[in-house]
Amino acid sequence: MDDSSIDSTRLDVLKELANIGVGNAVTSLSTLLSGEKIDMDVPEAILIPLQDVPDTLAAEELAMVGVYIKAHGDVDLTVLFVLSVDSAANLIASLVPGSTGEFDDMGISVLMEVGNILTASYLNAISIMTELNLMPSPPEVAVDMAGAIISTVLAESSAIEDNIVLLKTSLSTRQMEIEGSILIVPDIGSMEKLLGMLGLW
Amino acid sequence: MSTLNMDTIKVKIADLAVLRESGVIITVGLGSCVGIGLYDESSRVGGLAHILLSESLQFQNRSGMLNKAKFADTAIPILIGEMEKIGGKRTRLQAKIAGGSQLFSSNKSGISVGEKNIDAVRRALEQLNIPIVGEDLGGSHGRTMRLYVDSGRVTISTVGKGVIVL
Repeated sequence: MDDSSIDSTRLDVLKELANIGVGNAVTSLSTLLSGEKIDMDVPEAILIPLQDVPDTLAAEELAMVGVYIKAHGDVDLTVLFVLSVDSAANLIASLVPGSTGEFDDMGISVLMEVGNILTASYLNAISIMTELNLMPSPPEVAVDMAGAIISTVLAESSAIEDNIVLLKTSLSTRQMEIEGSILIVPDIGSMEKLLGMLGLW
Repeated sequence: MSTLNMDTIKVKIADLAVLRESGVIITVGLGSCVGIGLYDESSRVGGLAHILLSESLQFQNRSGMLNKAKFADTAIPILIGEMEKIGGKRTRLQAKIAGGSQLFSSNKSGISVGEKNIDAVRRALEQLNIPIVGEDLGGSHGRTMRLYVDSGRVTISTVGKGVIVL
């Protein structure tokens, strides 16, 4: 993709896409958490130098939890749900009766399931708007440095462009002290297709 | 200039830097990426590159100008060139490399991005006749790499696994 061709109109459209996608995802998460109120920020759709992507997430060396889901189909993209270690523990504890939020097998599978639900509802909204088919693959979880998590996602997306389009939304729960971000990183060529289906390419 | 100069230079993804005599070159959060530290002991010139992907060739026709520091095969020659500019000598270089892990480990068929990166770095160094004298590769955890330019010492730190010295 030619960097100059992602103009502000196109970023606005992507932002709206993210808005509807995350709106849907947050509703599902709220249901899962027995009606817990969840606040979400206005989604960002940004075009930034590849090198600056890790800084958008957290201090690069800070341990974070990443739930990584690759979606294939008419377009390929990566969904990354990232949250602090404390937030992930709170999330596990609030979903597993009797748990104090350990990252044991049960804890990890809870994180995967939350990733599944968020991603499925996010992608569903995008599919409906763009008429593109998107199939999420099974989630994977890592607890590691923020920088390592995000750079691995970039490598797995073959992010060869010098500037990357990133859709990012932060969300937080009112009571349970869970804060996280949902990041969408489109693979090479997928951005054109997404915008094409919306009549903007 | 000064031997008391305690510069710390940070190398981002798809980036590289060189220093002479003293100071630290650091790169944070190597996942599937590979950090390549080169050192010339007699001139005390050090360089560090943080590559994201293995080969530039398969992407060459995509968008013309690509950041060459992103790829193993193109970053290493550039790093050597930068080291030569500040007095490093190609034939004296030794390499220490780290990274290439598979963070999200439950997948997949075939070779991981991390393994591809490691292979490409090894190949590139071999072609340039640069020996690898230390390495900390693979696994499923992220790494931060520091090259101390006064000695060529490289340290690798991880989340919850302490620090090792290469």
